[in-house]
Amino acid sequence: MRTTDEPRRKPSVQRWVTPAAAVAIGVAYLAAGLLGGDTAFAVGGFILMVGIAAGLLVSRRFSETVAGLLDRRDERINALDSQATVFAGMALIAAVLIGFVVEIARGEDGAPYSMLGAIAGVAYVSALVVLRFRR
Amino acid sequence: MREQAGLSQAELGTAVGVSRQTINSIERGRYLPSLPLAFALAGFFDALIEEVFDAHD
Repeated sequence: MRTTDEPRRKPSVQRWVTPAAAVAIGVAYLAAGLLGGDTAFAVGGFILMVGIAAGLLVSRRFSETVAGLLDRRDERINALDSQATVFAGMALIAAVLIGFVVEIARGEDGAPYSMLGAIAGVAYVSALVVLRFRR
Repeated sequence: MREQAGLSQAELGTAVGVSRQTINSIERGRYLPSLPLAFALAGFFDALIEEVFDAHD
């Protein structure tokens, strides 16, 4: 059996990516709200997203799952994240398809669902082609 | 094998670079590790993969 006195791995820089993205989205909300004249949305959205970022960083100390999602080092949690992302994507695609059909039934042109569905389709085929050549 | 070595799930997880939850899931048969992780676990115990894992589980 190998001993466990190997040097501990350095904390991953990766753990800052998701909280930083949340703060960046908050800044985008702030800018969009101020540009659109909706100060409540701007400030509320910014505070919400900064709160989510802070919540993630704090809760990673108490939850192995949150820590794994931020660090991206645990293969099982990465797999769970991938499967949950697929599930969320499928739910979103189903909602877009339903919205598209409803809009057509109402005599509309299907917008914006037609464009969203097209984006999903192109993204799927592009990913499939890239992954096909990488694996 | 882990218990015989006197290791906690967290200690083994730290040694091979995964969480305690992942070691727990592997031991319960709820998660099949990747080949690199299986090699890491086997290598940690200086054992062959087939000595650590049962292909029929």
